[in-house]
Amino acid sequence: MSKLKEKYLAIPEQIRIVTVLFAIFLIMFIFGRRLFIPKTFGEYGHYRAAAVDDIMQIGLVYAGHQACAECHDDVVAEKSQHMHKHVACENCHGPGYAHTQAPDEHPLTIPTDRSYCVLCHSYNPARPTGFPQIDPVTHNPDGACIDCHQPHAPQPPEVPEECGSCHERIVRTLGAGHHNSLPCTQCHDIKQEHKITPRDFLPTVPRTREFCGTCHSTKASSAKEIRRVDIVTHGENYFCGQCHFPHNPEVKI
Amino acid sequence: MEHLFERLTDAIQHATGYIYPNEAELHWNILIVIYPYITGLVAGAFILASLERVFNVKELQPTYRLSLLTALSFLLIAVVPLQVHLAHPERGYEMFTTPNPQSAMAMFGFVYLWYLMAVLLLEIWLDFRKDIIQWANESKGLKRLFYLVLTLGSKDVSEKAIEFDHKFGKLITIIGIPSAFLLHGYVGFIFGSVKANPWWSSVLMPIVFLFSAIVSGLALMLLVYMVSNWVRRKQNAMDCLDKLSSYLLYMLIIDFSLEALDFVHRLYESEESIHILSQLIGSKLFTSFFVLQLLVGTLIPFTFLTLTKLVRIGDTARKVLYFASGILIQIGIMSIRWNVVIGGQLFSKSLRGLTVYKIELFGMDGLFLPIAILIAPIFILIVVVKLLPPWPEAELSK
Repeated sequence: MSKLKEKYLAIPEQIRIVTVLFAIFLIMFIFGRRLFIPKTFGEYGHYRAAAVDDIMQIGLVYAGHQACAECHDDVVAEKSQHMHKHVACENCHGPGYAHTQAPDEHPLTIPTDRSYCVLCHSYNPARPTGFPQIDPVTHNPDGACIDCHQPHAPQPPEVPEECGSCHERIVRTLGAGHHNSLPCTQCHDIKQEHKITPRDFLPTVPRTREFCGTCHSTKASSAKEIRRVDIVTHGENYFCGQCHFPHNPEVKI
Repeated sequence: MEHLFERLTDAIQHATGYIYPNEAELHWNILIVIYPYITGLVAGAFILASLERVFNVKELQPTYRLSLLTALSFLLIAVVPLQVHLAHPERGYEMFTTPNPQSAMAMFGFVYLWYLMAVLLLEIWLDFRKDIIQWANESKGLKRLFYLVLTLGSKDVSEKAIEFDHKFGKLITIIGIPSAFLLHGYVGFIFGSVKANPWWSSVLMPIVFLFSAIVSGLALMLLVYMVSNWVRRKQNAMDCLDKLSSYLLYMLIIDFSLEALDFVHRLYESEESIHILSQLIGSKLFTSFFVLQLLVGTLIPFTFLTLTKLVRIGDTARKVLYFASGILIQIGIMSIRWNVVIGGQLFSKSLRGLTVYKIELFGMDGLFLPIAILIAPIFILIVVVKLLPPWPEAELSK
């Protein structure tokens, strides 16, 4: 015993003090830790299992779209066929859990205000190409959106009467030139789907001299005031569009 | 709910281009800016202490104890910004009782504890042990009791014991250097490992943080040393100031080179984020990046410090230049922290838009709270220095 004590005393005093203090601290930590850990901690994972019960006590607010389908299956079926299929019902109609419990007491809102739709559909250059966007100031300013657009099956009310709803600059350019009176479809073959997913259904662009020749060739049977060239010799091997800009074909002769 | 919508609408109106709704408001605010700033000061001040202890830079001896106490004062406050920002300080201990080894943030608690208890406190205690025993013997009443508690029961002031103190203290400093690196490198690691954020995600981040920490710590000690001498009406040891400023200059050069390397590397890699990042530093961060960080915080102090090394300048003018450099470098390092923390949240993850950070004055997200937190260590330091005077004339062991 005295040997052990001798050995202990041979250790410098500082080390003894510090070691004992650290040991006390460590032991207090290891045992004290148990007091501080909640009882149900670690039952399921790195969290307090009773927290799940606590969270369950918090009232539900959203019902989820499956709940909507139980009564409004026709609307859900219609919506699932159209562009808003990935937009949840409660995105527009608000939290609906209370409504599922007592439909008459808690009617849901139907947003009719113009300011609502433009949260997604106002023009913003950073939105993806082809995403339907409008300028709320100029786009039918007096009407509510739902007067023309059915939100569960959102299609433009009619095919844009003019291509200009998207290609405004081209239409303005056209308006200044001789091709003003021509419909876009005179030169471009445009599928109906182009209006919904433009990038997937690109319109055709004329690529041959003969195409322009159908109006501008000396042999063409078009109106006689239309300017004519001999498309065999005129411009040699160049395609018309390389010298003439078809949307504003003002050439000096 | 309504007021949240109003805030969101207001914030979105200040954004440019396209941002996601959850990016309109910044989640890490100015409290998270001062957190890496303070830990940086701690790590830097400790590195300075180690220069004297481990690398035997004798000129820096007057700053040795002072820098240990400064590191301690700032370390005691270092986690306060985090605690305040998380808004539940009463849960802070849980990271020790139920540690999550998968979370770098949770592991920081242990790094902090290790650094505070095993490195800093132990080293200070060993270094002051003989003095504390002496002060306990000389004083009376409450003061005596206080020092008696601080001795932790130790009485041995034999030459052998003092020599052991020195050896053991040196060992702790050697362990302390990687610990200080870990303490601040970790802060950089947290930012550098956010994969989704191109402004942060860089392996250089921990190293850049570390060197900027050393720069800020050295500059802080330059200021603390000069101010403490001014308050005590003592002369500055010019060879100490010269040496300290030399190290400051070297570290500033290394830090600047690393930052420049990081910057050029990003430019050369030219990943898809480069456009939004160049917009970011060209608009929202222009003042804090080009003016404050680069010009005020780096180039001007670099010129000042280089001047003092190349040209023969009188003592007074040199002191003015050192002091000015110290202040400017603090502004620069604060801007670095701002640019990293706030800058990293100003651009959208869609890489298509920028948001703004509007700071309030009062409240938990306000400007006054971080200012108070930044000032607190100075008061702690005043108290600590009163209790454990680090000055050569008070040092009884030598």
